[in-house]
Amino acid sequence: MADVVMTEEMIKASQVGLKAVGAGLAVGLTGVGTGVAEMGIGAAAVGAIAENKDFFGLGLLFTVIPETIVIFGLVVGLLLLF
Amino acid sequence: MLKPKQMSRLLIAASKDQMAPVVAELYRHHLFHIEEYVEGAAECYEGFKLGTPLSGANEASEDLLKIRAIENAVSVQADDLDSAAACSKSELRAKIEQGLPALEREVEELTGNRSKLDNKVKEYEQKIAEITPFTAVPADLETYRGYAGLSVYAGYVVRQPAIPVPSEMHFSPGKEKNFLVAFVRSSQRNEVERALQDAGFQSVPIPDETGTPADRIAYYSGQIATLTQEIAEINRKLDAVKQQHASFIVACEELLKAEVEKSEAPLRFATTKQTFVAEGWAPSDKVAEISESLVRVTGGKVYVSTLPTDPDHDSVPVEYNNPKFAQPAQMLMDVYSRPKYTEIDPTLMLAIVFPIFFGLILGDVGYGLILLVMWFFLKKMIKGEDGQMFMTVFRNACISSIIFGVLFNEFLGFELTEFVGWLCGFGGFPNIIHGYAGLMPSRHLLIGVTEEGAHGPAIPALMMIAIWIGILHITLGRVLGMYNHAKQDHGDHRIKAVMANFGWLAVMWGILVAIWSNVAMPLMPDLTGLPAAAMGFNLGTFIGALLILAGVIFIARDSVLEVIELPTIISHVLSYARLVAVGLSSVAIAMVTNYMSIGMFINPGMKELSLVGIVMILVGLVVFLLGHALNTALGILGGGLHSIRLHYVEFFTKFYKGGGKKYVPFGMKRRFTEE
Repeated sequence: MADVVMTEEMIKASQVGLKAVGAGLAVGLTGVGTGVAEMGIGAAAVGAIAENKDFFGLGLLFTVIPETIVIFGLVVGLLLLF
Repeated sequence: MLKPKQMSRLLIAASKDQMAPVVAELYRHHLFHIEEYVEGAAECYEGFKLGTPLSGANEASEDLLKIRAIENAVSVQADDLDSAAACSKSELRAKIEQGLPALEREVEELTGNRSKLDNKVKEYEQKIAEITPFTAVPADLETYRGYAGLSVYAGYVVRQPAIPVPSEMHFSPGKEKNFLVAFVRSSQRNEVERALQDAGFQSVPIPDETGTPADRIAYYSGQIATLTQEIAEINRKLDAVKQQHASFIVACEELLKAEVEKSEAPLRFATTKQTFVAEGWAPSDKVAEISESLVRVTGGKVYVSTLPTDPDHDSVPVEYNNPKFAQPAQMLMDVYSRPKYTEIDPTLMLAIVFPIFFGLILGDVGYGLILLVMWFFLKKMIKGEDGQMFMTVFRNACISSIIFGVLFNEFLGFELTEFVGWLCGFGGFPNIIHGYAGLMPSRHLLIGVTEEGAHGPAIPALMMIAIWIGILHITLGRVLGMYNHAKQDHGDHRIKAVMANFGWLAVMWGILVAIWSNVAMPLMPDLTGLPAAAMGFNLGTFIGALLILAGVIFIARDSVLEVIELPTIISHVLSYARLVAVGLSSVAIAMVTNYMSIGMFINPGMKELSLVGIVMILVGLVVFLLGHALNTALGILGGGLHSIRLHYVEFFTKFYKGGGKKYVPFGMKRRFTEE
């Protein structure tokens, strides 16, 4: 196999690219995690709200608890990019 | 403001012959929230029983039922009508006496006829369904019946059966099921039935008709067409009734509803043989007015007194007390929960901050204008009080979106200045905003930009602004929490709860001070220059750590379990980053839409105006419209939901409990009738 010679610019460029990939993974994967977690809670909350509308506030609160995960993902992504 | 209306507990006692005037007067005032008397409850008066309805309740209820039936039949709803010119009670009474029975008969007859016709249509449709399979067989329908020695089989089979006896059979293969008709001697039925069973035979009833199947189907279809026409005619008549009598019908309903409510009010009072006692709540500033008018109508034969209240144990009904501009936001509060009587009512803050958050997310002059146009048309379509309140909230959000659009310099994903410049060049006007570049950090992304050194969005600055908003919003929430606990709690717990709220604040600000002391950030105080204290950390770090430690101790003193919630301090503050993130995504979609439609289709198409060029321009326009329509919808969802969520989840959890009882005064808002 032929040796791939990388110039300094190429290394720098790929570093930037890998950072972007990392940021994307951070946001994307945490987003999936949040979604999976909210799926069950959300379904149960909607069921409870259908039974009793007063549950709306509390139901919403429980549903968005896992959103912390994606926020941390977003922060990690931003830290990587800036 | 910031507190629900002050309520007083009223006790009204009088002899029973004064019941009707007292009830009528209370109903007219529409201020008295009746506390229902519960017989046998711990606090009930000894010897008192629930009252019985006033006279006339039955007649009014019956009339009300009739009116509601008519309303259903002609589908009129009071909410769909604008408040009409009120007509007086006596006029309406006379009209009810004269007009209601006739109107009822007319509507009943029409709906009765309609359901008869509907049934007939169903019957004919059933017949068509029965005949349809026989269209495949070239035989008249009367040939299937009336044989002495022959048996007729008709039905669906899975495959063609092999009938072992002499028979006349017609097999018509179909896509899913095959239809089969067979004539056999009655004496050989057993063999035939066995063969048919093997072929998966499913019998079909033979229709009782004469003539060819196709003719009969055509006949019934014709009948159905006439019937549908007749039904349409009846519907037209019902519509005419609706047009003519709608205002009368809703006015009637209102009047009768008022009468029924009035005559059934004693069911909620405590009574003896001679007297009655009504207890309830009224706004404190109206108590004098109510008691004066009660004394007046009864000629002084009534006892009205204000009872002492205990806001912690009495379930005081809660009525908002907000300045006019903040009132629409009460709708958003009720979605979450009505405030308790003793706590701070955050409606005012919600009314101010919600549009600001919406504008921060959807700061775009173009989308703001589109939504404002939508509001203008929706406002007329949406009836009902809640709907109108919602529309007002929506309008405020749109205006805020336009203002922030100017601050952000955004117009449908273009720079506002760029767009205005283009417009001015197009129309030959002087460009008045030349040189303006937006007062807020830019949200413009590098989409479709190829030149070197172009500026991207100022994300760090935007993020810091969002974080600051979060810090201040949460600090406000915690301060309100301290106030609420100081007001609501008692004894030892009160101090602890207030200090715990202070503890949360201390931890948050401690973390901030510690971060500022170690990292310099844009738009944040830079404390890295403070003198070093020990271990390479400077003074600020230790002050921060001290604050955190003190805060944790305060929190733990109130409830140790709360300490595991500490990470929410970070996540709640960072949650405000959504103000930027959702907004950026909306800008990104707008810019991508513009780039795709203009950069990829319209501009190349404009270069040569051939047939292909024109098609490209059209495709570009479609992409432009679809993209921006999608983004408008996403903008409402994103802007609205995330703004309200920041209130419900991040802000309210710091101080707000809710669960107050709604203030439902006895009486009604008259829309179609007069007193």
